[in-house]
Order: sequence, then C-alpha cells, then structure tokens
Amino acid sequence: MTGHQGLPGLTELAPETVEFTGARGGEYPLSWGQQMIWSSTRWLDDGDPYFNLPWALPISAPGGGAGDLAAVLRAVRRLVERHETLRTAYVETPEGTVQRVNRAGRLTVGVYEAAAKPMSAARALAADLAATGFDYAAESPIRCAVVLVRGRPRALALALSHLALDGWSLNLLAAEWPRLLAGDDLPEPVRQPLDQAAFEREGAGAARGAQALRHWRAGLVAAPRSMFDFPTREPEEPRFVRYGMESLAMAVAAETLAARCSVTTSSVLTVASAALLAALTGHRKAALQLIVSNRHDPRIRDMAGPAALDGLFVIDLAAGTFSDAVRRGHRQAMATYRNGNYDPSAVRAVRDEAAGRRGAELDLDVFFNDIRPDGRWPNLPPADPEDPGTLSTLAGRTRTFFVGAYPKVKARAFFATGAATATCEFFVLVDTAYLPRETAERMLLGLEALLVRAVTEEVPLDRVAEVCGVAPVRRPAGWTLIGDDWVCPPEGDGRTTGAPPLEMTRKVT
Amino acid sequence: MLRERLAELVSQASDGELAVADILAADSGLPALGVTSLTYLRLIDAIESEFGCDIDLDGPFLDTLDGLADHLTRQLDGR
Repeated sequence: MTGHQGLPGLTELAPETVEFTGARGGEYPLSWGQQMIWSSTRWLDDGDPYFNLPWALPISAPGGGAGDLAAVLRAVRRLVERHETLRTAYVETPEGTVQRVNRAGRLTVGVYEAAAKPMSAARALAADLAATGFDYAAESPIRCAVVLVRGRPRALALALSHLALDGWSLNLLAAEWPRLLAGDDLPEPVRQPLDQAAFEREGAGAARGAQALRHWRAGLVAAPRSMFDFPTREPEEPRFVRYGMESLAMAVAAETLAARCSVTTSSVLTVASAALLAALTGHRKAALQLIVSNRHDPRIRDMAGPAALDGLFVIDLAAGTFSDAVRRGHRQAMATYRNGNYDPSAVRAVRDEAAGRRGAELDLDVFFNDIRPDGRWPNLPPADPEDPGTLSTLAGRTRTFFVGAYPKVKARAFFATGAATATCEFFVLVDTAYLPRETAERMLLGLEALLVRAVTEEVPLDRVAEVCGVAPVRRPAGWTLIGDDWVCPPEGDGRTTGAPPLEMTRKVT
Repeated sequence: MLRERLAELVSQASDGELAVADILAADSGLPALGVTSLTYLRLIDAIESEFGCDIDLDGPFLDTLDGLADHLTRQLDGR
C-alpha cells in the first residue's frame, strides 16, 4: 500500500485490522455479469486502475453526532461478512476463471486525521486508494480508510473493484451503511454471486438465457452491419470526446411524449437517440446496445455484485412519424431489457455465426445507458407543456458543456442520461475518427429540438435530421445502400469502410 | 377475476406505489399509470411464475391490463 503523505491536511495514524468470518466460502465459475466485467478488465494491462471505483461515505452516529472508531470497524466487518462479493478473488484455472469466496480473512483499514472537511478528505483518500490496480487473484476487492476529525470518525474512504460491484450495488451499500453503523440487524441477502452463477448454469436462469440468445439471433439478422459504414477521418487527440447537456425543456418534452404515447421517458430518449443517429449516418434502421441493469427480479435486487450486461436493440425507422417510432421502440426496448441476461460467451459465438453468414463483422458499438435508478426525474419543477411558450422559454436555459476526452473507448457513439433528478442531464460521446467533436454538442441540442418539436407537431422520420439541425454524413460518389448497409465501390478512393481497430476496449457511461 | 388478479400483480410489481383500484379504473396504458420498465419486467416475471406460461416480449405487445388479460386467457385456453 502506498503512503498518503502527499494528501494535504491528512495525518496518517496507525492502521486498524478488521477480522471477518462470513457464513460460507466457496468456488464456482463466474456469473454472466462477472464474466462481462472480467473480459473488459482483461483488455487492460495488468494493474490498470481504470475500472476501480473510488467512493466516500459519511459517518454519523444515531442522534447526529460522530460515531466511535470501534463501531465503524464493526460496520465494515458486517459489510464484508454479509456481501460475499467483498471477499471474492478471481482466479484463472485450466477450466476457466472462477470466483473464489473467502469465508474468513482480514482487512487493513487506514486511519487518518483531517483538519476539517472530512468528506472532501475522504474523497481525496478514496481517489488515492483507487489509483492502483487490484490484483484480482490475490487481493481483497475492497480497500478502505477512516477519516477522523479531532479523533471522531466522520467519513469512510473506499476503493472498490468494479468486478465486485456495479452502480446498482453501490446504491445498495450506500443505503445499508447508516443502518450497519447504527448496529441494525439487516436480513441476509437472498442471493450472492455464487448463487447467481449457479442459477444461470443449472437453474431457471439457463432457460431465460436461452431465450435471450434467440433475441440476439433475431436482432443480428435485422441489424445494419454498422451504423458507421462511411469513410473515417483524421481522429482528434484524444480520440473520444464526451459532451453533456442539462435541459429542462428535454425533460418536460420527454415526459409529455411518454404520456401521450403511453411509454416510458427512457424509451423516448432511446428512440430519439436511435432516430438522430440513423438520420445522421444515412440509415433507415438503427442498432444500439442498451445497458441492462438486470435487477428487475426481486431475488437479485439486494445482491451486491455485477449484474449489468448489454442488450441488443434494433429499430426500423424507414417510414412514419417519430411518435410511431417511439411506440414501436418502447416494445423493442422492453424486449431488449427482458432479454438482457445471457452467457456472454454464447452471445459471442452467436455474433461470430452472424458475421460468417453476412460475410463481415457486425459493428454494434453504439450504446445507450439510462442510469436513473427508477427511470424518472422525481424532482422536475411543474411546467405546462401545452402552453407553446413554456418549452421555448425552458430551452433558452439549456446548458451544454465539454465533459472529457479519452484515448480508448469501446464505442463509436455512447448516449447516456445523468443522475440529475430535477432536469434532464444527457451525455453524448463520439469517436472522432467518424464524427467531429462539434457534432457531439450538436447532437445533444438536436435531441432537445426533436423532442420539443414532437410535442407540438408530428415529425416525419425523414425530417429528423432537419429538425435536429444536423447535416447527414456525406459519402463519396459511388457508395450505395444495399439493404441496410452502405457499400463502397470496389475500386474506390482507397479509403476503407472498415473502422480502425480498437486494440483495447473501455466503456464510459 | 383474471383482470383483478393482474391488477394486484401490477400493484405488487410497483412495490405498492400503484393502488389496485386505480389500476382497475384507469383507461390508459400501463406506462401512463406510472409503470416503469423495471415494474413492467417484474410484472411479466410474476405473471409467468403465477400462471406457468411463457410471455415472449418479441411477440405482440401488452401494455394495457385488458391486453394482458386477453393474451393470458388465450394462452391458458390454448393448452
């Protein structure tokens, strides 16, 4: 472990040791959700901390005061004992990678005294703890430290392996933490990743996985070979750029359209993203992968561990209006979410089969992720969308901003909501080998324009580009659309249709 | 009877956020009532396990109480 002398305002005290003994240990092949993250981590160099999750939790005792250190250490012990994922190692064996749950062990907990602002100190400490990659086979997937102010514990700094937890699990732990601190007796989780893996291999999960494979097979027949079948351009440095937007107008418009079409706002945003991308890239169909949390089954709701996978969503946008597409897309999205839990290696085989049949790899690297836990904006201020002035006034207050640029991301376009609850926070990431960075920002404003317009009039799908204010990609002379795929002339200008390979894979959500 | 039972399942799937009476009285689709994707998927699971049938969402779409009841009646009669 590295020293933390570099962190201003923090004094390192003697560390504590937490000894834990859980109800059971065991070894089993990885669950499907674990396999997904595992294969992503394998693309990185050993020790790369990209997938580490830094995190800080407040410590307050019942009655509002600070707790004592012993109570905090007890809560940490209970947390690790109740969630097997926090004491699991990932070991490569001749039969494949396995999850190895350690029944007992010890965890070193750093102790630091901060002059003030314990949560800021904990966040800095968490970032420091997360800066080193985990040794998945040998190391505990949780590192933690307690921040004291005048000797009283005030915050917990954590670094967690993404193999141990997904976003849903973090929320789960955040909800449990104050109760564990208070010494509450929480019911044991119904299912742990060991049980989940068994459910998928031998239990009812296997039949559901087989149904998901059928969904993938059908989707792979219908999907365009790529949404990005046009010549590449000189990429920017770093190559992938992400822009964000805060738009109350988009939230109000999405809610209005969702109510009108009897669908969810999530489906409205998914279809708007698909329609915009299809219009921009000259397609009559769009294929996206939706990030599926796989948490609707009550038995897996309180499981700490990774469960999210990508689901295939294909939508026909050849004719009709945007509202028609929203209604159709909602059905497609529900089928996608329903078929989101599958064996990733089986889907890889199905994708390879499809590539063989179509004579080309399928590029499905367009993603949509709605991260809102309940798919809503619960704190939206009241607004009257029927009043024509409302939406344009709100749109005047929309803000777009640059989020960041990244050298390697496994996506050509990535659409995502943000966590804001009182406005629509939305993000677009683009691969600048295909689309210039300005396009990312224009796409955000285009999505807002599309939804706002669709509230007052029916928007025909062939007018989406115009309404969004984006110029469709121009292909050189000779390129033709065959079925749903653009094909370049055999003796073209020497530029390939294929994408430059991404030798390493990451996703930003 | 089936309609009432389905309304109870919708209510349970929403963690009690939606009342059975409101679900029965509504003339709109389930999403307009406040049925989120998560609630909807839970509902489909609950129907499958209670009635022992398969509901394929790649097939015809079911987003109203009556639509679900009709579909289920046909499935159960077809056995």
